[in-house]
Amino acid sequence: MQGQPATPTHGDAGLQPERSDLAWRRTAMSLLVAASIFLRWMPHHGWFAGTLVAAAVATAGAINISRKHRYLRAITGINRERIIPDAASTAALAASVVVLAALSIYAVLVVPLDQ
Amino acid sequence: MTEDRTAEGNGRRCGFSARILGGGAEPDPRFTLANERTFLAWIRTSLALIAGGIAVEAFTADHFLPALRKPIAIILLSLGLVIGAGSFFRWLNVERSIRKRNPLPLPLIAPVLAIGGALVAGTMVVFVVVGQA
Repeated sequence: MQGQPATPTHGDAGLQPERSDLAWRRTAMSLLVAASIFLRWMPHHGWFAGTLVAAAVATAGAINISRKHRYLRAITGINRERIIPDAASTAALAASVVVLAALSIYAVLVVPLDQ
Repeated sequence: MTEDRTAEGNGRRCGFSARILGGGAEPDPRFTLANERTFLAWIRTSLALIAGGIAVEAFTADHFLPALRKPIAIILLSLGLVIGAGSFFRWLNVERSIRKRNPLPLPLIAPVLAIGGALVAGTMVVFVVVGQA
């Protein structure tokens, strides 16, 4: 059990761990797409848009950093026939999406365009 | 990365999950993973709405008057906010239901999305038909 263990395998014909991993990856990519559209606001909203870009990229980065851990967790969960739902990840992701949306609404309504 | 896979073992580790999920029996892990993927699909829907709202505000400045642009952007962004928040509560309610072997709750965010989408499309149709805003 020392050193870097090989990735464990699972017997799930429904390929649940892979599908979950890919769903997280797609979500991280959606965040990067949103971040690149926020970039278009930079000429108008300056540092405020920059903050939104940074927040979206940071959330995508956090998902990617914890991906391997989540994938292994899904495999061990399938093998043991029990898994603890990852409430912290879902809550954190939903919260950051809500903050992004709220700051965007604030930008549209309040932040003056520097033109 | 692979630090403590064994600590996951008897599952007493995630205090937050244990606290908000309440009682019930451990469900089939496949259900939990499927619920998580459904949550992620809702989050991506929310992100698409947010990206759409930003795009309307960012890319249509030369074509739409602010009177059209701002309301559409605000509707899209608000819809993204509501769906983003709702997706977590949907995830939580489904997770609680499958632990208690109860019937799954109806998705409240689905009609919100449908009505909101229709509202945006309707606003666009009105502006295209009535005046070339």
